[in-house]
Amino acid sequence: MRPARIVAAATLAAAVGTGSAACSSSSGSAAPASGGSGTVTIGESTTLSGSIAELGQSGLQGVQLAAADLNAHGGLLGRKVRVVSADDAATPATGAANVRSMILNDHVAAIFGPVSSAVAAAEEPVAAEYQVPIFFHTSNDINLLGKGFTRYAFQVVPNTVMESRAAADYLAAQSGGKQITVATFAPAYSFGYDTVGGFLQALKDLHVNDKLVAQQFPPLEATSISTYLSRIVTARPQYLFNAQFGGDLVTFTKQADGYGLFGKTKVIAMYDSPVLSALGPAAPAGAIGFDRAPFWAIPGLSSFNSQFHAKYGAWPSEWAVLGYTAVQTWAYGVEKAHSFAGPGVAAALPGATVPTIRGDITIRACDHQAEVPEYVGTVAGSVDAAYGMTLWNPPVFTAPFSTIDYSCAQMQALRG
Amino acid sequence: MTAVWRPAAGLAVLAAALAGLGFTLGASQLLTLNEAAGLALFAVATNLLVGYGGLVSFGQAVFYGIGAYSVALGWEHLHWSYWEGLAAAPLLGGAAALVVGLIALRARFLYFALLTLAFSQLAYEIAENQYHLTGGANGVFGAMLPVSLAQPRTGYFFVLAVTAGCLAIVWKVTASPFGLTLRSIRENRHRAEALGVNVFGHELIAFVVSGVFCSVAGALFVVYSQSAYPELLDWTQSGYAVFMAVIGGMFTFLGPALGALVYTLGQQYLVAHTTQWQLILGAALVLIALFRPDGLAGVSGLAARRLPRPRLARSTLAAGGEDGEPDGGPAKRPPGVAGEARR
Amino acid sequence: MSTFIIDAVGALSTAGTLFIVSAGLTLVFGAMRLINIAHGSFYMYGAFLVTTIGAAGAGLRFWLAVASGCVAVGLIGTAVEVSVMRRIYNGEHLTQLIATFGLFLIFADLALKLWGSSSRTVTAPAAVDGRLTLGGATFPEYDLVIVGFAAAAGLGLWALLQRSAFGWRIRAAVEDPEALQASGINLRLLRTAVFALGAGLAGLAGAVVTPQVAVAPGMDSAIIVSAFIVAIIGGLGSVAGAALGALIIGTAETIGTVVAPSWASAFIYLAMIIVLVLRPAGLLGIPEQAR
Repeated sequence: MRPARIVAAATLAAAVGTGSAACSSSSGSAAPASGGSGTVTIGESTTLSGSIAELGQSGLQGVQLAAADLNAHGGLLGRKVRVVSADDAATPATGAANVRSMILNDHVAAIFGPVSSAVAAAEEPVAAEYQVPIFFHTSNDINLLGKGFTRYAFQVVPNTVMESRAAADYLAAQSGGKQITVATFAPAYSFGYDTVGGFLQALKDLHVNDKLVAQQFPPLEATSISTYLSRIVTARPQYLFNAQFGGDLVTFTKQADGYGLFGKTKVIAMYDSPVLSALGPAAPAGAIGFDRAPFWAIPGLSSFNSQFHAKYGAWPSEWAVLGYTAVQTWAYGVEKAHSFAGPGVAAALPGATVPTIRGDITIRACDHQAEVPEYVGTVAGSVDAAYGMTLWNPPVFTAPFSTIDYSCAQMQALRG
Repeated sequence: MTAVWRPAAGLAVLAAALAGLGFTLGASQLLTLNEAAGLALFAVATNLLVGYGGLVSFGQAVFYGIGAYSVALGWEHLHWSYWEGLAAAPLLGGAAALVVGLIALRARFLYFALLTLAFSQLAYEIAENQYHLTGGANGVFGAMLPVSLAQPRTGYFFVLAVTAGCLAIVWKVTASPFGLTLRSIRENRHRAEALGVNVFGHELIAFVVSGVFCSVAGALFVVYSQSAYPELLDWTQSGYAVFMAVIGGMFTFLGPALGALVYTLGQQYLVAHTTQWQLILGAALVLIALFRPDGLAGVSGLAARRLPRPRLARSTLAAGGEDGEPDGGPAKRPPGVAGEARR
Repeated sequence: MSTFIIDAVGALSTAGTLFIVSAGLTLVFGAMRLINIAHGSFYMYGAFLVTTIGAAGAGLRFWLAVASGCVAVGLIGTAVEVSVMRRIYNGEHLTQLIATFGLFLIFADLALKLWGSSSRTVTAPAAVDGRLTLGGATFPEYDLVIVGFAAAAGLGLWALLQRSAFGWRIRAAVEDPEALQASGINLRLLRTAVFALGAGLAGLAGAVVTPQVAVAPGMDSAIIVSAFIVAIIGGLGSVAGAALGALIIGTAETIGTVVAPSWASAFIYLAMIIVLVLRPAGLLGIPEQAR
């Protein structure tokens, strides 16, 4: 063991120690009075690179716009809101480290959620450990408020069960009791399996006379899906429930069209504005889309839409709307508690009704799930004049929270 | 006035310094060092193969992941405590390393690296797809640590102690006759064979030892993350271990540990302070490759005790031909641990 | 029968794309012993360039976009070779891996800046955008276009390697580097040309698949592992090997999906392991000792 190396290592260790001790905060919960007098900091750790970056970027834009709007109206409790962000690269450990760093070094008063439910599951206990509220506005696995529930976790986006139930509701209305053949197509990981499972269960609960003729689970981000598609096509289902999203759904649509799937089968999938925008003229007219917050169909969003469009040059996706809503929810909690401290805010929100850009939403007390609806509609055959892109035909079917949610008892049961 | 340093004294200083940090640092820094310590063991165990054995493996994450999953799946399916998972990890890792080593060590150099890479990806795909067993892409999360370990300070001391103990064992291995034989195999395989050394046997043992300690490192990772997920098994995770070894200096024993520390600190700093982390990390890697392929150990000139390396011929198109050597000749070039040797 | 036809066409189309990408990778490795992780970035850039140049898809414009994309990526490759690659030929493979991985990260970040994070699509020209029906099976015409490009690339490479002076030099570099050096060829130019060719091939593959996939960040990492596996199975340095490897992987993926879906993605790695164990230099590769 060379002596010089040991000295170097020891020096380095000492430097790390003193350097970080100099700017470290106390262990345990950090006081959220942060960033100099007059400002409060909130953190968004989300995926900003790689294939799901689109969802992360968009959500971050919504959060940033909400902070800017708060500041334009005098700030929150007299303080300016500052947003810090970090990329989690869709890796759970990175997300958890980001959250920890934001809490301890940036003294954030609240954390806003990632894209991936796996990352969210890693971040949730960290936020709880430091008593900082965390708001999920994109990731939505049922277990975030189920098995993994903490009193600091809040969710403004419908969960995986709610979405599939809304789709099943719509299908039930359409089928009117006749027998229908159904197939499913979902990415091969927990989100896909959970969503499909929820959909099939919901069909059963609604007494839809369905026959399951095919199920396929292609890997996430796979681009050669012809084998999976061919099996769906040959099974000739009347309805295909597709749980893919983003780029995967775009790839699916382009290739499925090549097999003539849309002519014979009604596809039900997350045809939200980013996907429809990416597809352009290839958007599948007549397909059924579901969306967690369609900007064009929620009354009261028009001034937000214009503002967002003016700032970012594009119409807001559901992730941006939900990100904005999440910040509004937090701000409401702060005002109600007259404080930025985590425990106070977390106590003020359950049961509260928050006015947001998308209308008033109530945070259900038993599981902190916002009582929001899911939206279902049919993809239009032509470009919408007002927005310059293909959207859905009016009217948009709104599946109310009460029909699609798990009851409090069911959520309690999940916590085991 | 020259003091005579003995290795033991130097190490004691280092150990004391690290232990001291455990009392002075805040939670966030302790958790960072927690992560770095586990990675340090991972990097040093990998370097047993890369630096000492001349076997560049892109598959050590298989064992790292197995270590983490031993704890996590044992907790989830078998209701094991952390200690049982920690005890199982080296056994499972060693067994897996035996299997992988028997297959992969039949190949040399580049193809060995590629075979181990294939195993890494295979393990990743299995973890990702066997959803009912492993939880798929989500991984396994939960309160799998005993309360004592879940706290940053005690967790840090625990990880530090285990890491130090394991590093001591690995050090013993490298300093033993086995270790010396391993190095001689790296230097000149055919000569070692001619001298009657069982080359395959030595490499296999090194592979298994490396796998055992990579597994323990994975189990230590759970102290930091309280989770296990498929990305721990893939080739980029394997690659990080190799990168850490290279950056810290693969021809020294603790070089990889230094590389692990630099990597951990650098990554956290980068991600926390800029969204341009890909650009910066990418540029740093390119610069290191171009100007400091010896790693950080080369920077401080502490590499003086390295043995001289034989120069290896390479494909002519790549070997410079009429261009001359951009870096000034053989003296500064590390040997072909992954090169195409013509012996 | 109809499912078989669709599966076969799909497998050929996948194999075609993989072949074009892997051919570039294997040539560069064979001639220069260079492992280039950023090869996947060239693929992604080819795709993104087409979305910028030829999004409208009106007939000729699309083909021009594909050609321009391919050439542009070839030029990018030239720039990369001159600035970075030629300094690391002498280094160890490990150094090359580090450097090219660094480049991969840089390219990924630049792509995010240039094109953002949203998915983009391209519509193929109407002439090739339709559907074909064969033996009761309906499949996209464009699949055949991809197969056509792969065949053309294969033929072109064969002609280049077997019939041109440039190709002769590449083969010499792969098979007998010492003789090549002794013959006084301008090695620097040759290296640059080979690297540019490899990059151009990757760019071409990316450009060609655009009508069928969502062009978005992540394409670079998605393709690189498969491309390496195909090149390795086929034998590094052998274009014919890349073709063989692509067919094997395309077929294995298809069969795997049908037979055991949850193991399908693991199949290709198993295939690689089996091939390397049985033939350590790949199926058509030249074993190291024999040189």
